[in-house]
Amino acid sequence: MHVGLGDADLAPRIAGGDRDAEAELCRRMEPRIRLYGLRHLRSASGADDLVQQVLMKVLEALRSARLREPDKLAQFVLGTCRMTVLDLRRSSRRQEELLATFGGDLVPDPAPAPRLDDRQLARCVQTLKERERSVVVMTFYDEHTAGETARFLGISEANVRVIRHRALQQLRSCMGASA
Amino acid sequence: MTTQRRDGNVECSSPIEADVLMDYWLAALSAAAEEAVEVHLLACDECGDRLREAIALAEGLRELARSGSLQVVVSDQFVEHAAETGLRVREYAPPRGDSVMCTVAPDDDLLVARLAADLSSASRVDLSWCDPRGVEQSRMADIPIRADAGGVICQQSITWAKASPTASMVARLVAVDEQGDESLLGEYTFHHTRTIPGPPGWELP
Repeated sequence: MHVGLGDADLAPRIAGGDRDAEAELCRRMEPRIRLYGLRHLRSASGADDLVQQVLMKVLEALRSARLREPDKLAQFVLGTCRMTVLDLRRSSRRQEELLATFGGDLVPDPAPAPRLDDRQLARCVQTLKERERSVVVMTFYDEHTAGETARFLGISEANVRVIRHRALQQLRSCMGASA
Repeated sequence: MTTQRRDGNVECSSPIEADVLMDYWLAALSAAAEEAVEVHLLACDECGDRLREAIALAEGLRELARSGSLQVVVSDQFVEHAAETGLRVREYAPPRGDSVMCTVAPDDDLLVARLAADLSSASRVDLSWCDPRGVEQSRMADIPIRADAGGVICQQSITWAKASPTASMVARLVAVDEQGDESLLGEYTFHHTRTIPGPPGWELP
């Protein structure tokens, strides 16, 4: 019903009590908030918790018309994500209470994550230059910072980033990705 | 930034570059750049899909790096960290010009060769893997080195080593100058004994 509307158009409708607009906003925001959660919590279950709590807070704010500039909905959701991640890190007890109250009703099953051909990826990594392969392995093994890798290689952090970007471009090309 | 399509999805008019998305995932952006990316991602499903692709690549590389199946030059810190995180690391450090008896066990996770050499005057170093007759089987060209490191740490594929029959291999560190001339920095012989039951994955010639 509301699929043709922009995100900002949904906010005043939610303030007016439109439940379909609420459902549409949740449908759109759920995967976006989950990505934020994956990035900052590094946990699928943590991301699920974040989705629940952020959607509850955002809907509550929109129902009471507390968002004065609907065009800034993304910024508002981002701010709510940030505060909620801090809360999640600070208080696991509060997280459990919210989950007990609302369960999984607000969170549909996440879309399946893309999968790569592991063997093809291994073949592609073996085609990298030695320096590029070392940077890739050390970066992704445990998400080493560019600084740590730079100290090992005796080069600047900027150079490490250049090597990493070049290697990843080659890998994406080798894997047949469009990006 | 985005325009709404009839199906409710959006088309992105200013897609975030793949490198920026990967840097975002790696927490390698400045605070301002990270905020700009996050505002964009909370309004753009197309870039969200591309971030999922970046995450899939990152996760695939993480699993590959942790599998121990790659032949790659690594740092001392990397090896220490792998051991601290519970991986079983088997290390061999034959003296320069000498040999060592070696094997791998079924529960080993990483196999590492420590090759001591003076790298202080080398600008480019290759690591050549030869059979006992000295015939080169493979070469790791222009490996990453640090002049003051006093050697090279090479992770050998644990998958390969577990399937390898009993055999000897010679690692040769060679400095290569701008004219392509080579000088030997060190030679190290590994006498590998297969201890894992079952037939080898292949027979050496």
